[in-house]
Amino acid sequence: MFERFHQDARQAVVLAQEEARRLRHGFIGCEHLLLGLAAYGTGAAADALAAAGVEVSGLRALVASEVAEGGDAGDPLDADALASLGIDLDAVRRTTEAAFGPGALDRSRGRFVRGHIPFTRRAKKSLELALREAQRLKHDHISAGHVLLGILREGDNAAVRVLATAGVDAGPLRDDVVRRLMAAA
Amino acid sequence: MSEGAQLAEAASGQDPGPGLRAVRALRELTERLEALQVDNARERDWSWQEIAVFLGVSKQAVHKKHARRRRGC
Repeated sequence: MFERFHQDARQAVVLAQEEARRLRHGFIGCEHLLLGLAAYGTGAAADALAAAGVEVSGLRALVASEVAEGGDAGDPLDADALASLGIDLDAVRRTTEAAFGPGALDRSRGRFVRGHIPFTRRAKKSLELALREAQRLKHDHISAGHVLLGILREGDNAAVRVLATAGVDAGPLRDDVVRRLMAAA
Repeated sequence: MSEGAQLAEAASGQDPGPGLRAVRALRELTERLEALQVDNARERDWSWQEIAVFLGVSKQAVHKKHARRRRGC
């Protein structure tokens, strides 16, 4: 489905994957797509987010806590849970990385998660809705702005919750993205 | 009370949730360390038999668990 994606939307998806990896989440959800869009830095989506006062590092912290509260979806290698047994995960990480290189502990996730990180159902749905948003606006390519519209249209996802926590209303953000997309077209 | 002490108390308390989470995290950590150590041993030409002795399991068990994963990487 990525063939109609404009360069900025593709890049935002790649960045979303990097954000998911960096947060050690085993999936790419709407919240990671949102981070990818913000991290891309230019275009309708990133500009509208910046204008709404959203900046990447704050967003990253909000996503991390949102996912941690979700419980099961988080990294099973839970530093707090290990601390409750007196195990310092940072210390274990330091010794394994000294022996086997940076990220060693995260590369060796048993039988699971190597390289490819799957999209969540809602993230896929948001990307489908991005296509529909582009069609509705009579744009022939899907850009980062349409991806953000798709996420907002899907509505019931961690990205929208994180934005609400950051004090950003979906409605005005949506209008601003559309305005910027129309101005750019 | 420090955060660590609170967590320790939670883990040793009556609520099963924190204790089960801790067990899961510990298992995950063990699995990852085992994968790293087995990979390192194989790269140093250790046999499955030798690795099994150190892990305290059968050669078949260690082979079944790690051989396919290693081929995949």
